[in-house]
Amino acid sequence: MSDIYSNPIGHWVVIAVAMTLLLFVVLTATAYTVWFERVALGRIQRRPGPNRVGPFGLMQLAADGVKLAFKESFVPEKTDKVLYVAAPAIAVAAAFLAWAVIPIGLWYNVQYWIADVNVGILVVFAVSALNVYAIVIGGYASNNKYSLLGGLRSAAQLISYEMSLGLALVPTFMIVGSLRLRDIVEYTVHWGPYVGPIPLIILTPVGFIIYLISAVAETNRAPFDLPEAEQELIGGFLTEYSGLKFVMYYLAEYVNMITVSALAALLFFGGWFLWVVPPVFAFLLKVVLFLFLYIWLRGTFPRLRYDMLMRLGWKVLLPLAMLNVIVTAIILVAVEG
Amino acid sequence: MAIAVFFVAAALAVLGGIGVVAFHQPIRSVLSLVVVMLSLSVIFLLLNAQFVFAVQIIVYAGAVMVLFLFVIALLGPARELGRGRLRFQGWLSALFVLVLLGLMWGLLQGVQYRQPDKGDLSFFGTVQSIGVGLFTTYLYPFELTSILLLVAAIGAIYLSRKRIDDV
Repeated sequence: MSDIYSNPIGHWVVIAVAMTLLLFVVLTATAYTVWFERVALGRIQRRPGPNRVGPFGLMQLAADGVKLAFKESFVPEKTDKVLYVAAPAIAVAAAFLAWAVIPIGLWYNVQYWIADVNVGILVVFAVSALNVYAIVIGGYASNNKYSLLGGLRSAAQLISYEMSLGLALVPTFMIVGSLRLRDIVEYTVHWGPYVGPIPLIILTPVGFIIYLISAVAETNRAPFDLPEAEQELIGGFLTEYSGLKFVMYYLAEYVNMITVSALAALLFFGGWFLWVVPPVFAFLLKVVLFLFLYIWLRGTFPRLRYDMLMRLGWKVLLPLAMLNVIVTAIILVAVEG
Repeated sequence: MAIAVFFVAAALAVLGGIGVVAFHQPIRSVLSLVVVMLSLSVIFLLLNAQFVFAVQIIVYAGAVMVLFLFVIALLGPARELGRGRLRFQGWLSALFVLVLLGLMWGLLQGVQYRQPDKGDLSFFGTVQSIGVGLFTTYLYPFELTSILLLVAAIGAIYLSRKRIDDV
């Protein structure tokens, strides 16, 4: 099995197949995340949720997709047409690119990932940084004040929380000594009789909490979904988008949600290691649990006000993350001498 | 394969550079500059500089250019003003382009190409090698740069505070 990776032609075939498969898997996962969210939110709000199309409403997304695809693709007057169309495309591209470096599992020597790069986590950050463009350009190109303000708000939010998101992970890198996602998952401890991988949340609990909060803000999800605060901004940067372009933004949001859930599973919960559960399923289970957490948050927390959001990001999370880095460094030096 | 990727990235970088000066809407100029940054990052990746690749995108495309975009988006979709004031600018730029091309031509005289050294590339360009470099060989330049950045940050805070007090 391993020689197929080293064979030059086999290598490209494997990558092409992996890319196609991954696209399919992530798209399907996104569709069913939306279904999962609607059902779970329904239960939280004591209503049945989608249950008409197919068994348990499982085909609801197909119906919605067809509806949105056949909607009139409306472009407002006096907009920058090229940018207006390009913005949702950037969102989708940025969302899917991150999956090029996310390892899903290692099972019987088969690698369930496309690329295992030395700067893995930095690539994810770099790619998700491009998401800001989709939102600002979408808001700008819509030629609508609400869209523009929603886009700018969102950009400010993304930039603010990117800092604490990055700093929250630094202790993990310091402990593992690598940015390669596979190394982080396979980090092995020798604790008395126990030798093996551990969920790193045991070692960096504070980092995990900061990551969790920042990740919700990074994906513009409730309770941090300020760009789309409908009471103040109608629909934010999404206001003027309809039909398939709206679907692309929507898709990007859910892919990003799955991406940060996957990162949480990889960085803090041992990725594909879980007792006797087969690797890929263990990973999936963890991701689904995080997705449920997201939905739970959306169903239970009210939206923050904009100044509260900024205060939380800059005056609470960022100093806490820095402190966490310093304390972890001190402990590491004290333990390892 | 690498050569093909290089030429695509290089062509995109040049096209983006032309776009920066040729577009009349400022937002398109900014986005062209983003294309230049992204193309450069791909070229860094081809040179095995993985860390620089990621940082190039995070810092330039993800932070610096977003601020440019912010300013331009807030100023609104106003087109660039007519060229009444700087009518001779076009000719001047042509002159500068010629001088630059001449300079490059002069520099490229007598350049001899050779195969790169067959070193071990598994460590080169990684986060670890850059970290080791920054904290051993280049420690003083690194620390001096950090002081420079600190001064700039304090200056920025001071300037923005003063403006708020005035209002």
